[in-house]
Amino acid sequence: MSDGGREIERGPEKPAPPRKPGGEEFARAFVKVAVAQICESEGFQSFQQSALETLSDVTVRYIRDIGKTAHVYANQAGRTESNVFDIIQGLEDLGLAQGFLGASDIEHCLASSGTVRELAQYVGESQQIPFAYSLPQFPVVKDRKLTPSFLQIGEEPPGEHIPAWLPAFPDPGTYAQSSTPNDRTTELKMAKIEQENQRIKPERSLLNLNQWLASNELEGPSVDAGDATKAKQAAESNPFLAAPLQYGEKEVSPVVLPVKTKLSNDTTTGNPIVKYHGMDNHVSVLEAFTPNIEAMKSGLRDSEEGHKKVLLKTRPTVQFKLGSGKKYLGSMLDSSPQNKSFQVTESWFGRLNEKDDKKRRAEQILKESVGNLQELDHL
Amino acid sequence: MNQNQQQQASDGRHDDDAALSDFLASLMDYTPTIPDELVEHYLAKSGFQCPDVRLIRLVAVATQKFVSEVASDALQQCKARQAAVVKDKRDKQQKDKRLILTMEDLSRSLREYGVNVKHQDYFADSPSTGVDPASRDE
Repeated sequence: MSDGGREIERGPEKPAPPRKPGGEEFARAFVKVAVAQICESEGFQSFQQSALETLSDVTVRYIRDIGKTAHVYANQAGRTESNVFDIIQGLEDLGLAQGFLGASDIEHCLASSGTVRELAQYVGESQQIPFAYSLPQFPVVKDRKLTPSFLQIGEEPPGEHIPAWLPAFPDPGTYAQSSTPNDRTTELKMAKIEQENQRIKPERSLLNLNQWLASNELEGPSVDAGDATKAKQAAESNPFLAAPLQYGEKEVSPVVLPVKTKLSNDTTTGNPIVKYHGMDNHVSVLEAFTPNIEAMKSGLRDSEEGHKKVLLKTRPTVQFKLGSGKKYLGSMLDSSPQNKSFQVTESWFGRLNEKDDKKRRAEQILKESVGNLQELDHL
Repeated sequence: MNQNQQQQASDGRHDDDAALSDFLASLMDYTPTIPDELVEHYLAKSGFQCPDVRLIRLVAVATQKFVSEVASDALQQCKARQAAVVKDKRDKQQKDKRLILTMEDLSRSLREYGVNVKHQDYFADSPSTGVDPASRDE
């Protein structure tokens, strides 16, 4: 076992871990057991872990060196399979470091080599210590089931250019529809978008809620006063936005984006509103989006007045549920949209002030509590 | 096995062959400590191929002999070291009576077989199986 030989062997052993552990660790564990058993039979009672590791390592190298030299000698003799003489010659090579009696030379046959005699002596002297465990055959080599070729299944290859010994094609049904991958990708995309929406939705509603709270805190009392300018601004910000619609749409969260309600408005009610929507589209869309944009830009609290109005208006209309929504819709239908919307909202607000005193009081209480909450929040 | 020597002395080639085949046949009954599967695995890894179980056994026996020689050398080293320690210092080192395969002894015995292993001076081995530091220092 010369150093040079081990240097060479270290080469192929190094890349073993990244390649695949295979049965290597398993084999190492068993080598350790075997070496420990041999040491015990020699009289050792215990061992250092590192010493056992080293000795088992050397053992493995020894086995591999024997195999390698035997292989080399077999190849030198022009054979692929080794025989006993190759092994003996390999053992002689490995035993060169210690020296041995009766080396084979021209006069002595390899069969009478000293190494063999020593081995035979050892076998005769040492008591048998069978290995502590029963070992399965390893490493387990799985039988790979190959796809049968065209020849084996007795089929004609579909094309002239395909030789018969190649593996047969799978069923046409498994690959004929080539559009499936596309579908899948689009589905995936859709699913992704859906997921994104799902993620955004709660965020948006939370944002709206916050904004509504903020605006309510600031402007609650002024609405009660029924100021003309306030009403005007409210009218400007599209009175249709929420009132009738949120009544019917229950699955939507109470605080909804103005755009959304408008769209659903269109679908549920008749043409006039569609027309109105068409006319007022610019303003409403802009206003609908400003809250989000503004909120993103300048935080939740200090937002622009206009969109505050929108939010403010959407919320009270939800609570306005005395069947007046229908009436309101009716009056809406016969009024020419752009000009009269302002009056309509005004009257609506007036009605709110006159009739819903109770409701308003309740609202006030609610707002106060909300304001308290906000203050707490500020703290 | 003395027969072998006699046969060699009389140098009958036929007798040598017979002895060898007898030895190989006797290996069929002998169970080496190193299991066949293990040896086969490592031999296959080194490019060796032979369907004969007897040759596998031969390699297994050779390896076992090698390991046991190394181990017995290490044991002698260990005993000598312990004797030296006992002689030099006090006799009441009961713990040292345990025969432990240490890296130090192993590297010494392996050196004779052409394997140069250095004992790692600062390697903290598992204390349960290791020697106590006093004896390792020296």
